[in-house]
Amino acid sequence: MPEWLQKNENYMPREDKDTFINKSILSFLALIARIKAQDKKEDRFQANAFFRVLFTLMLVVFVSVSRTFSFIYLVIAYLLLLLCFMPGREIAKILRTGLVMTLFTAIILLPTVFYGNTYSIFIIPVKVLVSIIAVNILSYATRWDQITIALKRFHVPDLMIFILDITLKYIVMLGEFSVEMLYALRLRSVGKNAGKYNALSGVAGTLFLKSRDMAEDMYAAMECRGFTGEYRICQKFRFGLADAAYLLINAGIIYIFIRLY
Amino acid sequence: MKKRILKADNLSYVYGNGKTALDGVTVEIYEGEKIAVIGANGSGKSTFFLNINGVYAPTSGEIVFRDMTVNKKTLNELRKNVGIVFQDADNQIIASTVKADVGFGPMNLKLPKEEVLERVAQALAYMNLTGFEDRPPHYLSGGEKKRVSIAGIVAMKPEVLIFDEPTASLDPINAMMLEEVLAKLGAEGKTMLISTHDVDFTYRWAERVLVFCNGKIIADGTPLEIFQNGEVLRQANLKRPAMLEVYELLVESGVLAAANAYPRQTQELKEVLRDSKVILGDPA
Repeated sequence: MPEWLQKNENYMPREDKDTFINKSILSFLALIARIKAQDKKEDRFQANAFFRVLFTLMLVVFVSVSRTFSFIYLVIAYLLLLLCFMPGREIAKILRTGLVMTLFTAIILLPTVFYGNTYSIFIIPVKVLVSIIAVNILSYATRWDQITIALKRFHVPDLMIFILDITLKYIVMLGEFSVEMLYALRLRSVGKNAGKYNALSGVAGTLFLKSRDMAEDMYAAMECRGFTGEYRICQKFRFGLADAAYLLINAGIIYIFIRLY
Repeated sequence: MKKRILKADNLSYVYGNGKTALDGVTVEIYEGEKIAVIGANGSGKSTFFLNINGVYAPTSGEIVFRDMTVNKKTLNELRKNVGIVFQDADNQIIASTVKADVGFGPMNLKLPKEEVLERVAQALAYMNLTGFEDRPPHYLSGGEKKRVSIAGIVAMKPEVLIFDEPTASLDPINAMMLEEVLAKLGAEGKTMLISTHDVDFTYRWAERVLVFCNGKIIADGTPLEIFQNGEVLRQANLKRPAMLEVYELLVESGVLAAANAYPRQTQELKEVLRDSKVILGDPA
């Protein structure tokens, strides 16, 4: 063994919090976990994603243009019923996001009270809450691939759907890659080091180069499989009992909206 | 006599930065051949594959598929018949479900919907992936992703299948499964080209070996001819396969009679050893 290795060293690094790196790792992990949580089988008692996307958008529009509290209360009751069938953790997340955004809207609208418009400060935040809950229920209960198929049925341009698909894929892949780089950075940043945060720009740069290489390779792989710019999806349209029930409920909501409008 | 399926004639390719990746490559590939393409990193193997599939346009030289010289008009015909399985499955898988990804190639071939669905089901069954249809491919294991990427090419029913380092980053079980798939494709008479650094795999699987070095083919022959040529191995930074080393050692030390058996698989070596009982004698 060389002599320098046999020498005793009492190196005590000065403590550092590493909060920024830890927070970055945690936020990346949370994002990946959120997307990975979608790797579940489609519930056969769930309605077709096409109807769910269609009626969620419709519900948001109806709530926005509705002039009565009665219709909004009805929609709230319906959404709460849907929430009851979801896992507890997802319910908490959906409600938390909705309430934060509602509070934010209420704060923005606060000056209207001083001008005597007390109606807006109540109805607009409630409408925001309902819209956010409705969209989040759709997002949590529907797999991403089902949403892209639904978008295809709405004749959203193929290229846009393709970009959405690829974006989601790369969020996961590059997210995992950045977590590994951040781990490597944390392992090598012992003690107090003023240049620690500068290394993060290196992480971002490496990530950019990696994403560029991956994009080039992916394009070559797509060309090999005959890609000419047209992205087609082949999926059979199924209509089951769940779809019929879902359509019936939503037809009821439309009817009530028209009556109350 | 076997029919020629693909020909690269004096093929050269220069990258945008001026680096010559292929330098006058000429090779003829025949129906049903099992070819291993070996050589050091950066020797031009992958560039050669991307040229013969038409992803890269050669700087000079030409590609002939069957009797058709490849040009812009015939490019799609070439891509339809020459499929590449890329080294990193993550770069090849693009759709959000296994079914959509396997169907990507057939859809691009503008096949009727029913045929696409049938081909997808067949390819998934072929690769032992039935039941994975609606899974997002990016959350599968490395071996499963590799199988999805192969299924995506199998569904296009190409005549020539190219695998770019297929065993890289696979564990031994998945590598074995991959060899089984290759055997299955070989039995169906598919023409296959595989680039690899695994000389043991090359020795036991290939019928013909192409050795690349600095963008040129420096040797073309049977695995035995290649691995017995010390000069080629030195030039291309290659090792000799363990099976060949062991066999020659056994012959040299007199355990086996000097013969031209040259076993390629462990089972074949066992048979050679069983037949040579006379020389080994009775251990008792």
